[in-house]
Amino acid sequence: MAEIDRSKLPIRRAPFQGVANRTLEGSQPDWSLIGHSTPPDGAPNVLLVLIDDAGFGNPETFGGPIATPNYTRLAGEGLRYNRFHVTALCSPTRAALLTGRNNHAAGFGSVGEFSGGFPGYSANLPQECAPLPRILRDNGYSTAAFGKWHLTPDGQQGPAGPFDHWPNGWGFDYFYGFLGGDASQWDTCLAENQKIIGTPAEFYDEEHPYYLPDAMADKTIEWLHGVRAQDAKKPFFVYFSTGCSHAPHHVAQAWADKYKGKFDQGWDKLREETFARQKALGVIPADAELTTRNAAFPAWDDVPEHLKPFYARQMEVYAGFSENADHNVGRVINAVEELGELDNTLILWIWGDNGASMEGTITGSFNEMTMQNGIPLSDEMQLQLTERYGGVDAWGGPLMDPHYGAAWAWAGNTPFQWGKQVGSHLGGTRNPLVVRWPALVTDAGGLRSQFTHVIDVAPTILDIAGIPQPTHVDGIEQEPMHGKPFTSSLTDAAAPEHRTQQYFETIGNRAMYKDGWWLAVKTERIPWVITPEALKPYAPGVWDPDDDPVELYYLPDDFTQARDLAAQNPEKVKELKDLFWQEAERYKVLPLLATLSTFFGMLPPLPAITKLEFRGDVQNVLSGMIPRIYNHSYAISADLVVPKGGVEGVIVAEADHLGGFSLFVQDGKLTHTYSMMGVFVYRQVADQALPEGDVTVRMEFKADAPKPATGGEVTLFINDQPVGNGYMEHTVPIRFSAYAGMDIGRDNGGVVDRGYDAKKPFAFTGTIKKVVFDIKPHLSDQDEQDLHAAAHHGHVAHALSA
Amino acid sequence: MTSDKATDVLIGGYLSAEAAHEDYESVLHCGAPLEGAAVVSKDLEGNLSVEQTDHMVREGAEGLGAIGLAVGLFAPPLLAATAVGALIGAGAGAALHKKTESKIEKAAGETIPIGGGGLIVVYKHAQAQKVEPAVTRAIKKVVGEAEGSHVKALKAALADAQKKMAEQAG
Repeated sequence: MAEIDRSKLPIRRAPFQGVANRTLEGSQPDWSLIGHSTPPDGAPNVLLVLIDDAGFGNPETFGGPIATPNYTRLAGEGLRYNRFHVTALCSPTRAALLTGRNNHAAGFGSVGEFSGGFPGYSANLPQECAPLPRILRDNGYSTAAFGKWHLTPDGQQGPAGPFDHWPNGWGFDYFYGFLGGDASQWDTCLAENQKIIGTPAEFYDEEHPYYLPDAMADKTIEWLHGVRAQDAKKPFFVYFSTGCSHAPHHVAQAWADKYKGKFDQGWDKLREETFARQKALGVIPADAELTTRNAAFPAWDDVPEHLKPFYARQMEVYAGFSENADHNVGRVINAVEELGELDNTLILWIWGDNGASMEGTITGSFNEMTMQNGIPLSDEMQLQLTERYGGVDAWGGPLMDPHYGAAWAWAGNTPFQWGKQVGSHLGGTRNPLVVRWPALVTDAGGLRSQFTHVIDVAPTILDIAGIPQPTHVDGIEQEPMHGKPFTSSLTDAAAPEHRTQQYFETIGNRAMYKDGWWLAVKTERIPWVITPEALKPYAPGVWDPDDDPVELYYLPDDFTQARDLAAQNPEKVKELKDLFWQEAERYKVLPLLATLSTFFGMLPPLPAITKLEFRGDVQNVLSGMIPRIYNHSYAISADLVVPKGGVEGVIVAEADHLGGFSLFVQDGKLTHTYSMMGVFVYRQVADQALPEGDVTVRMEFKADAPKPATGGEVTLFINDQPVGNGYMEHTVPIRFSAYAGMDIGRDNGGVVDRGYDAKKPFAFTGTIKKVVFDIKPHLSDQDEQDLHAAAHHGHVAHALSA
Repeated sequence: MTSDKATDVLIGGYLSAEAAHEDYESVLHCGAPLEGAAVVSKDLEGNLSVEQTDHMVREGAEGLGAIGLAVGLFAPPLLAATAVGALIGAGAGAALHKKTESKIEKAAGETIPIGGGGLIVVYKHAQAQKVEPAVTRAIKKVVGEAEGSHVKALKAALADAQKKMAEQAG
């Protein structure tokens, strides 16, 4: 049998080898025609697990305070890698993981929500970077992804696609999860394959409510069983990418309560405790030094006593949420074991994609979107808003979208400095990796310290599967993977370093690693601050990156980056600076700070469409695709048919009580409710009942001024007659929700107005012919441009924390 | 300088009903004789509740009647001054609610945010050192004061507090 040429994908079928005569007389079939591509003999199953927004010092497996028995079990049967690196931001790490290329070269210098006009920042995967699932699928694997995706640009997340940037387009046969950067775990707006399917029906089951982490495991197991029911041999590739532990930190109270009182000592002490455990475990060297607290984080001792329980609860919930993720990954591993295939499954489990997230700001927030919308709230305000939505014990429940305070993230990144977004330091770039592959690992429970990077994962999987990297896919010549297999280290703890240099860059924070030396260049901007003042030093013509302060570490002697050697080694600093620029050019990192380019006047064209029509059955329009009503005057009108006896229900609703709007009919009255991120909730009610028959209703918002978060007057109309009004002091300047969708004729998932929560989804009982959004222009073109810029500034703010 | 006999009116604004009620209980038990106190809150469904001292500790407040005490909250929205949009350079809106003379439900409906609360406490200035420290959770807190006696002083102090709240909101 001829060798299969796997260098060009899809694998080309051999020509017909039989005989086809005019009749069956003398004809000979070729049964290879009805086969399918098969992988090389011995190619194993692959389970790739990625936890979100977590730090090196979170799981107990690496000395953290969070119980992770399944992770620890796997480490005991496999290997811990303690020098594994990621990119300091969500989408970039995922792009690098799934393509084996450096993230900028794969178009993901930033996140999926930000599609910039430079090659390294387009958020559109180049065709010359065919991803791992596509390669495995074309080589005969069954492939599936579950959970967080975050690699589809915002504007492509609807039924019009295009779909080549959805999971199926990347080579997954099956996808169940969410497309964005985060999701509610309670009322997830789900996608399945190439459709947004919205909130699952179980959300409405109060006895057995929906919970995404459980559902992800259920769906994975169901999919595995289905594959095996059809084909006992075909290897699978499962990418299990949890929404945990990204905000919103959603978990049942019982999981959080397991940690009651365990964080009362505060973040400073927690770091010391974690550090001691890390040394005892041997996951950090005995001579490692604990890095000190940056002034950006408050000391625990300075937190007012009455607020300490509030802060402690934030971490209790995060820990319970994380332990639950471990539990559900364990269920999947157990299912593989029940199939009798555990030892034929290569498992790679990465605990965190960018270090723990500091985007909850100092206070933490009851609603992760308050930070992104620029709403500064003191910790007392946050506490009161927490009380409003159920109290401290309900943090993690369905009425809040919580994110913990930045100092807890810093503690989760022990023993390193900083965290997510900070590509210059290990807090944002070093995460735990556990690998289980008994075919090669001979010292189960061992530790590996080779310098590994997320781009090395795909080449390692291909190497173990015996599948070559393709030179061409769909006729397009491929950019060779930048990663290198670390397979030899599985067997040999002393295997030579396969990677001797690597660049890092995230939002201007950058590093150059070479032969143990690490040059760190961090911009002075605090990651969660995007004020004009904070950005001013980085304007074109003002910023010279070579003037940025530098730090230099020698990692073989300084595991944690505790001793800055820059002053003593100016030549090494220069060498690494020069090398960084070379690498930056090679891998499309330039221009630096492209992620923030909109703040410096580089804006996409102003959208021309100002009127959008939705028919009555449109649902689950994702939050990044709703009409751009923010900061504008606008009108929403609806043509209705009201039957005899009247109607009730939602005409149109976006998102939920933590940010959104709803135009609905209740008790016969047209009503408009607007939630300004759950901080202010406005409601206007018509003073007369809705008539029967054909009716046109309208709400108009007249903005006070062309400025972000503008207040304005709301007027309700029935058949062009004003029937109610009210004033809204503040409106949402950027985005109502990170995940919740807009629906016509109902309010799917969590509702905007808690007054109709008992009737959710409160479907409209009449007929909605159409709903029209009319976005009114501001008076001057300059105002329009200014607001367009503000919208994109907000877009970036949202993207950075996604 | 304000005399000890002057009437003080403290108004507090809250983002949660729980916090408003906590301070309400706190002032009731602060050890100072009060002329009156009321707490108004709204739940997540928008239902309003009013709770207040069931009798005036001193006869001086009788003129406003029982439920009338809460009228002191009907200034601008209690929390309008919460800064919004700072990260993107926006300022807080300066507009205030129109004054209303309608009944308590409507007025409170415009003043108390859904899920929020308001507190009003009336006391003699001599008690200020006991009353004011008891109010620890207000996001916004103002104290109006007026000299004089009985109802006239109370009304003037209310007006003073409302004015200060409006200035903060602006």
